[in-house]
Amino acid sequence: MNSGRCAACKHLRRRCPSDCVFSPYFPANNPRRFAYVHKIYGASNVGKILLDLPVNRRAEAADSLYYEAYCRIKDPVYGCVGLITILHQQIHNAQCQLARIQAEIGALSTQSQSEVQQFQQVENVGPSFLPDQNGVPNSTSFYDLSTWFD
Amino acid sequence: MSSSSVPSGSSGAAGGGGPCGACKFLRRKCVAGCIFAPYFDSEQGAAHFAAVHKVFGASNVSKLLLHIPAEKRLDAVVTICYEAQARLRDPVYGCVAHIFALQQQVVNLQAELSYLQAHLATLELPTPPPAPPPPLLPPALSISDLPTSSSAFPATYDLSSLIDPMLHPSWILNQRHEIDPRSFSTTTARAPPEIPSSAAPSGGDLQELARELLNRHAPPVVPCRNQASTLPPHSR
Repeated sequence: MNSGRCAACKHLRRRCPSDCVFSPYFPANNPRRFAYVHKIYGASNVGKILLDLPVNRRAEAADSLYYEAYCRIKDPVYGCVGLITILHQQIHNAQCQLARIQAEIGALSTQSQSEVQQFQQVENVGPSFLPDQNGVPNSTSFYDLSTWFD
Repeated sequence: MSSSSVPSGSSGAAGGGGPCGACKFLRRKCVAGCIFAPYFDSEQGAAHFAAVHKVFGASNVSKLLLHIPAEKRLDAVVTICYEAQARLRDPVYGCVAHIFALQQQVVNLQAELSYLQAHLATLELPTPPPAPPPPLLPPALSISDLPTSSSAFPATYDLSSLIDPMLHPSWILNQRHEIDPRSFSTTTARAPPEIPSSAAPSGGDLQELARELLNRHAPPVVPCRNQASTLPPHSR
């Protein structure tokens, strides 16, 4: 049972009521979480945001508020937007790389197909007509020609 | 949102030609040297400031801007306006939803890249290629996977597309910032008040949040060939 004040009420130096809107999301053992959120948004604004949401969405909202507050404190100029910019850049770089690799794969596939076709044309001529390494025509045929004379 | 509503760095009445947008909204006298005057003009600025005030509060924004060098304040105001409007559009996730959607997109693209690189390697071999490896499963998202950022290095960002979400997000990033997101160490008590909240400052609380949010709200893993969308998915 939570017998003490939540981090928010401790920070605000007030009594923590049983229906405190902050209590489930800002536990006493993590004072920094509320401190960051309070510094950027203010307790009153955070309380209003949470109260405007259904109870089952408040935890996520508290987490995202904390995340944004953290980003803003670490980077006061750009906050979360700095990360968004970096991610866009990563996406752009990955798409360029993908396009490059797909082009290479396409080129290699085309090249290997034409090599296979050339190889098949040579096979159709018949290996018995190809001389061995001493220049003697090879009498061994890969194909059974006896059926030709049935 | 129209591009004409971008907070500008050149407007502001500051007691000369009438109150700035912020002071107009707050219904107070716009003094000379008003911190908001350069960024919130008296026409469109009031609407922008309304969003900023609703989410952040005027005094919090004022304190924030005072701690930022003057040449960086316009960028700060633009990003603050963006975050405020994102939070009003999506009160649960704000712009964090957008971050996770983009991160999922990065993960999908990296998986596709790995698969195609393996396929390319097999095509370049002289022997008949073996069966291509199965597509790599994207790793579970965690805060530590997020790109890093810090204030040690200045960066130039093209912020104009932030204000008009319909604009193509052609970001220009000159230098990376560095932040160690593993310095997060929080607890998230989602349980009702009578259940003791967890207290495991392992640095993974926000990582857990990232994983949970991603599993619940991220789009399916598909090869992505289109440019990233600028608007975050709305909360379900």
